[in-house]
Formats: sequence, C-alpha cells, structure tokens
Amino acid sequence: MKPYLYIAKTKVLSALAYRFDVISSIAIQCIVVIATSYFWVAVYGDRQSALGVTREQMLTYTIMSALLACIFTANVENRVIQSVRKGNVALDMLKPVNVFGIYLAEDLGAIAIALCQNALPLLLISCVLIQVPTPSSVVNFLLFLFSVSVSYLINWLITACFSMLAFFVISIGPLHQTKNVLIRILSGSIIPLWFFPESLQRVLSFLPFVYIYQLPLSIYIGKLGFSEILTQTGLQMVWLLIVYGVFTLIRKKAFSNVLIQGG
Amino acid sequence: MALIEVNHLVKNFKVAEKEKGLTGALKSVVSRKTKIVKAVNDISFTIREGEVVAYIGPNGAGKSTTVKMLSGILTPTSGNILIDGLSPQKNRKQVVKNLGVVFGQRSQLNWDLRLGETFELLKRIYQIDNAKYRQNLETMNEILEIDTIINTPVRQLSLGQRMRGDLAAAMLHSPPILFLDEPTIGLDVEAKYSIRKFIKEVNSSKKTTIILTTHDLGDIQELCSRLIIINKGVIIEDGSLNDLIDRIAPYRQLIVDFYKEHSDITHPLAEVVEKEGARIVFRFEKANITASRLIEDISKKMRIKDVSLNEAKIEDIIRAVYKK
Amino acid sequence: MISSLKHHFLVAAHLIKMSIQRTLEYPVELIGWLFANPLQFVLGIATIKFVIAEFGTLNGWTFGELAFLYGLAVISHGLSVIFFVQTWFMGSAMLEGEFDILMLRPMNVLFQFFFRFFYLIGITDLIPGIVIFIYGCSQIHLVWSFINILMLISVLIGATLIRGAVFLFTGSLAFWTKSRNSFLFLNFAIFDQTTKYPLSIYPRVIQMIFTFLIPLGFIGFYPASDFLDKGNIFNSSGTMPWVTLVVGFFVFWIVTRIFRRGLRKYESAGT
Repeated sequence: MKPYLYIAKTKVLSALAYRFDVISSIAIQCIVVIATSYFWVAVYGDRQSALGVTREQMLTYTIMSALLACIFTANVENRVIQSVRKGNVALDMLKPVNVFGIYLAEDLGAIAIALCQNALPLLLISCVLIQVPTPSSVVNFLLFLFSVSVSYLINWLITACFSMLAFFVISIGPLHQTKNVLIRILSGSIIPLWFFPESLQRVLSFLPFVYIYQLPLSIYIGKLGFSEILTQTGLQMVWLLIVYGVFTLIRKKAFSNVLIQGG
Repeated sequence: MALIEVNHLVKNFKVAEKEKGLTGALKSVVSRKTKIVKAVNDISFTIREGEVVAYIGPNGAGKSTTVKMLSGILTPTSGNILIDGLSPQKNRKQVVKNLGVVFGQRSQLNWDLRLGETFELLKRIYQIDNAKYRQNLETMNEILEIDTIINTPVRQLSLGQRMRGDLAAAMLHSPPILFLDEPTIGLDVEAKYSIRKFIKEVNSSKKTTIILTTHDLGDIQELCSRLIIINKGVIIEDGSLNDLIDRIAPYRQLIVDFYKEHSDITHPLAEVVEKEGARIVFRFEKANITASRLIEDISKKMRIKDVSLNEAKIEDIIRAVYKK
Repeated sequence: MISSLKHHFLVAAHLIKMSIQRTLEYPVELIGWLFANPLQFVLGIATIKFVIAEFGTLNGWTFGELAFLYGLAVISHGLSVIFFVQTWFMGSAMLEGEFDILMLRPMNVLFQFFFRFFYLIGITDLIPGIVIFIYGCSQIHLVWSFINILMLISVLIGATLIRGAVFLFTGSLAFWTKSRNSFLFLNFAIFDQTTKYPLSIYPRVIQMIFTFLIPLGFIGFYPASDFLDKGNIFNSSGTMPWVTLVVGFFVFWIVTRIFRRGLRKYESAGT
C-alpha cells in the first residue's frame, strides 16, 4: 500500500507545482466557451431556432464540446516528440512491450485527472454563467457516452499517426498546428458542420473528423433520430477500424525507418 | 593608480525556504518564508592597471556574484564599486564601454549565424572604426587563429573554438579591463594553451587589466601575479602567489635516489617523509636551507645516483586555504 | 543627438538583418508555417461565412463588414508577430542570461531586446490577413482615399503597439516571478475572442474591461465601427483610428516603464 500512497503524494506535489498551468488552462477554456456562447446568443438574436437547432441546444453543444476537449488531450504526441528529440526512439521501439499501449494506458489514466482538474471547474463555471447543459434524454446520454468512447479512440489514433510523422518530417511546429486546426474545425467542435454548405458537408463526411466531436454532441443535444444515431454510430465504428489500420501501417513504416536510421 | 576599487561590498539574497514533504509544499502555497543568504559579505580590494588577478574560491563562495556586480549586472546591497572613478551601477553604459566580459558557461555569440556576424554587430554597437576593427581582427588571427573559424556558424563550433570566439568578441573594442569567468573550463590542452597565450599577450602589449575567476590551477600559475581568495562571501587571502606559498606551505621536497638502500641518512634541517628501497624523500623549508646546499650535504654522507626537486603543490595550498 | 540616432539606426538595421538571415537558415520552418498559418485564418473566416449565410447578420454586422474586421485584426496580429515575438519568451530569455549579455553592452537594454528578433515568419500571418482584409474592403466598397489610407496605417500602428504592450507586460512579469511560465496562450485566447468579432456581442461589463482596462477594443472593433459608420459607445465619428494610435503609444510607454522596473528588480535579485 505504501508505494501507492507515495506515488499519490508525489502526484499531488507536482500538481501543486503546476498549479499555474492548470489554472491557466481552465481560464483559457472558460474564455473560449463563454466567448463562443455570446457569439451564438448574438447571432441567433431573436430567432428561436436555426436548421432545426434551438439556441439552448447550441449553447449546450458549445459547453459539452469544451468538456470533451478537456478529456481528449492525448499526451502521446508529446511522448513521441520527446523521444525523437532525446534520441531514445530506438530504445523505446525495441522494448518487448507495445510502446503505444503504454502511452494509451497513461492517457486513459490522465482522463480521470482531467475530469476533476479541468472539466469539473469548467462545467461549474458554465452552469453559473451560461446554462446547465442537460442532455435531451437519459437514453441519449447513454448513447452519447458510448459514442464518446469511440471518438476518444479515433482522436487518439489520429494524434498518434500525426506524431509518428515526426520521424519523417523535420519541422513539427507547423504540422502540429495544422493537425489541431483541422481537427478543431472539421470536426464541428466550434461551429457544427450543419452550417456548412451541402457540398462541403458531403466531402467532410468522407473524413473521420466529424465523428470525433459532432456525432456524440449531436446525440447529446437530441438532434438525431434513433435510426440516424444507429447508422452514424455504425459509420463511426467503421472509421475506428480504418484509422486503426492507418495507424498500424504508419507504425510499421516508422519502425522500419528507425531500424534503418538508428533512431 | 587604482583602476578598480571595491569598498565594503555586500550582497544579500532573499531565498525562499521550502520545507520538506507534503505539509511543506502546502504551507508554501499559503505563506512564503524567506531567509537571507549573504553571498558577498563585506569585501574590499583595489586593482591597479595592468594587473592580472586570479579571483578564486570554492563553488558558491561569491566569485560570480562579485564579477556580476563589477560589470553592473547586479546591484550591491551596500558598499560601492568604482571602475576608473565611475560606478557600474550608476553609469552602466559608460563603464561597460571599457569592459570586456566573458562568461564561461554563457556565450554572447549569435548561435545560428557565422561568427563574423556577431563581430559585425559588436562593431556597430561599440562604434569601432574600420581601421581599429581590422587591426584588432588581425591580432586575433595571429594569436587565436580567428580567421579559421570566422565563417563557421557558431552552433557548429567546438567548445574550444567557441571560447576563442567569445574572447575575441570581448576584446574587439579594445577594452582596458577584462573579466573572464571560467574561460578555460572544459577545454582541451591545446585550447587552454592558446587562450592563455592570448591573455598573456593582451596583458603585456596593451596593459589590459584582467580579473580571472577560475578553478584551473594551471591558469593561476601561468597567468596571475596576484591571487584573491574568497570563501563564503569573505576574502581570506589577497597577495602574490609566491607570498601565499611562502606563508602557507614554504617547503619543498627533495627526492634522492641512492645506489643502495640506506636507512640512516638524515639531515638536521630536513625531514624524512618517505623511504622506499633506495629512495628517500626529504622535506625542507626554503627559509632554512637551499636545495643545492642540502644536496651537497647529503652527497657528502653517501653517493647520490639521482635527485629531483618538488615544489609544494598549489592544489594542496589552496585546499588548505579553503578550509580556513 | 543626430549621431546617437544614427548609431541606434545602424545597430537596429544590423540586428534586423541578422534576424532575417537567421530565418533563412531554416527555410523548412518558413515553408511549414506558410502552409499551416494561412490555413487557420482561411478556415476561420470560412466558418464565419457559413454561419452568417444562415443568420444574415451578427449584431447588425454583415459578412463583408465582419471580414473587414477580421482581416484588420489578423494584419495587426501578423505585424505583432514580426516585431514582438521576442516578448513571448521573456521568462526563458531571462533564465538563460540573455539580459545579462544585453546589460554588458553600452546601449539601452530594451532597445537591444526589441530588435533582436525581427521574425520574418510573421508574414505567414500577415499575408492571409491582408487578403481577407482586401476582400472585406471590396465587400464594403471602401474608398481608397488618401485620408482613409492614413487612418488605416494609424490603426495598424496603434493596434500593433497595443498587442506588443500586452505581451511585453506579461513577459515583464517574469522579472518578478522568475519563472518560464508565461501567459502566452491565455493572451492568445483573449486576443482571438475580442479582436476578430465585434465587441458588442459581449455584455456591457466585458466591453468596459476591454475598452478601459485592457484596451483591446481599439485593435479592431472601434476603428472598424468608425470606418463602417456603425455606432459605438463613444459615439465617435471618424476619430477612432487616431485614438487607437494615441492609445497604442500611451499603453506601450507605460509598459516600458514597467519593463524598466522589472529590469531593476532583476538587477537586485539576480536569478
């Protein structure tokens, strides 16, 4: 029991050291949520609903989107980038354990921390300043939870893929930002895709991003009928398989690259 | 004529006191306890033009703090500094025009560009005219072989090359005073040699006054006429190296190899410190007897095959001083 | 006096030259950002377009007017990247002894620090900003009169100074906190939300804060509302561009005093 207590203690100690970062990140997320909410209130004006979604639903969408963003942080890319920089890539990749499995486990553990540290304060502040983001029904909420789990994995795998590109690409700053921008906008996390022109929506439905944010959020606010939820979730799982396939491919390529270049 | 005057210099730092463990960390969130560390505790010295002074002490003794105050980077808690009559705190820009400073661990060279670019920048900052600029570069080329590295990007230079570059950069505006903070740290023998050669040359030809902080005993022996030793913020020795040796360890060792083993060779003015086979090591004080006399006396008692003479090790002297 | 100006000019020019050379040493970085940064703004303005297509206006602002505002904000952002990027990392610079080196040279420390990093890569923000802005201008049928151009230049200088002042302020806090922690992302978040959209969408309190406390409203909203003849709380009519310039200089001047204070603290406390 003792070593676990010690680990917990060190975690709290280092958490205190990073309290500035934590408060800072909560503040940033609050700013974005609040500003976006005012944006929607202003743009709706006197209208009650637009494209089948009421203003209240839109605000719920915005708040829940921010909460998901807290949880979807995947540290895997920092790990890979760090190990490339420090040069122990070869060491990591040659371990008899699945390296990415370890990263995933760590990130899943981090979800618990993120929920308490970031998501909870954000939720409370949003409830006070904007509105309480109630799901449209209990069933929808449960389906939402299921969809979110799949989304998390899709997001994680895409992030892992991009991070492995660090092996082939020299300058990672721009790559990192591009990935973030693409995910943020094309997934409907800020502006839902039903505002996009029809043609663009059709194109984007052939990309996995939509299934990361917009699908679970649409389920949550009750925008989709039951049959729609079934088909969309089905598509989401297909995408999970596709992304996993791509991930495995890139990992093999990266692995062989490491063997040739020696990390 | 005192070029550098330091009077009762004191520098205190406020340091946060953190207690161990969880309770300590939580407490520090609520209230911050601070304690005062006296990095420099009332030191005074004067340095005349043309002197090359070694400023040494164990780590944390207050050397870097002193140099930072002398160069105007740090303000003293009390006491004053005069460099050619001016205070580096009150007249920073004026004093700094006549200073060249090299920090061993931190380079002033622009990392991504070739060495020459930093020189060009300094030429403009110090407003060095073309003739003097070319002349100084010539001198650098001769002694430091700057022309071999002037077109290399600084990030590709070895430590020794970078140090030569930093020295050259510090001397570009021909400052009459140089502060060198650990200039030979981590350098190989060849690099150390050329750095020392440069310092000697610059001091003899331009009468540059130099303060050198170093841990390297070779530096001290090769370059410095005067030694200031600081420990725990206080100056404990200030004088020439020879004076110091004479006072603290005024002895030498004579190693005598005989043809045969002799256990009973003694001398009234020398102490036998080691005896191994046909070798006897004598220790004697310079003040009591000269080496040649001792050799003469011993050879009268027994035929000598070979001798060699050892000076007291500077290392031991300084260690003894640090312990005081 | 003249010789001093000439001295400072020559040093500044050389520092800028060195910064540009430095950027060109890493062309891959430049190309990378040339793709990544414009993408961010293009997608940004596109999403606004899609939303407005459905709703018509935002607080009475049409899409053309919003593009005008957005473009104006991104241009001053790009300019602040070019001129002020070194203020983003003041904590690190301080901890690595950068300021020591600057203090060892016989010139003003802030002056040296300011020109040390002319970040050419900022044009990857600047160019998309200009494009979006020109598009907005065409939509609102802006007259390119001499006085309008003068006002635009005035706005851009003032806006860039305001942005720079905010970063210089949060950067100077490092002299007291002695840490690498900067408010960098916090600043970005606030800038993003207050300069790209009309300030009028926020409640009164927030508008007041960003007008009188941290004058970010002058970066885009107030000057734009003047150009577009939209009302604002000042009932200004055409004076905003000049006010922005004045506010910019004033705020920047205050922050340089804070920087000097911080430097003095650094001199007495070290690292």
